[in-house]
Amino acid sequence: MTTPEAIQGYIAGGLPCAHLEVEGDGQHFRAVIVSEKFAGLSRVRQHQLVYQVLGDRMREEIHALSLETWTPEAWAAKAGAARG
Amino acid sequence: MSANDRIREQVTSNPVVLYMKGSPAFPQCGFSGAAVQMLKACGVDRFQSVDVLADPEIRQGIKEYSNWPTIPQLYVNGEFVGGADIMREMYQSGELQKMLETAKA
Repeated sequence: MTTPEAIQGYIAGGLPCAHLEVEGDGQHFRAVIVSEKFAGLSRVRQHQLVYQVLGDRMREEIHALSLETWTPEAWAAKAGAARG
Repeated sequence: MSANDRIREQVTSNPVVLYMKGSPAFPQCGFSGAAVQMLKACGVDRFQSVDVLADPEIRQGIKEYSNWPTIPQLYVNGEFVGGADIMREMYQSGELQKMLETAKA
């Protein structure tokens, strides 16, 4: 069974991440990814970049993966807003 | 007609097209169900839905058409908008409502 740790490893192996969280139950996963590679990309392109890193695993191993993608700037702004 | 041609025709001849698992009344997957609910919440009652479970050629073809490995997929005015996560982010920020306003007709 796929674990969140395995998915975390796949993503970190192909994408430089400033922050990466993956959680899930073996069937459904959720990933929060902060990467400078997302800068200037639309949300669709950001997610496509993650899917590209995961490659065939998205078809074979991973049934469902929710993605939340952030640039470091947007992530810092969000953290600042949360602190209020 | 190839799957690619069929998809192009579907997304260009309907302003709002949702590729999903199951039907709007009976979604076969939670993400597809959530996508339907968001469209309805945006006031889009009539949209073209395509059940990929009923059409294996489209199920595979749509992933290649958009270079996107998951279902659901939303198209507005022929453009790929995103999957369930992007729809939710856009719904929460109000962007989805705005985009669908132009496609309601």
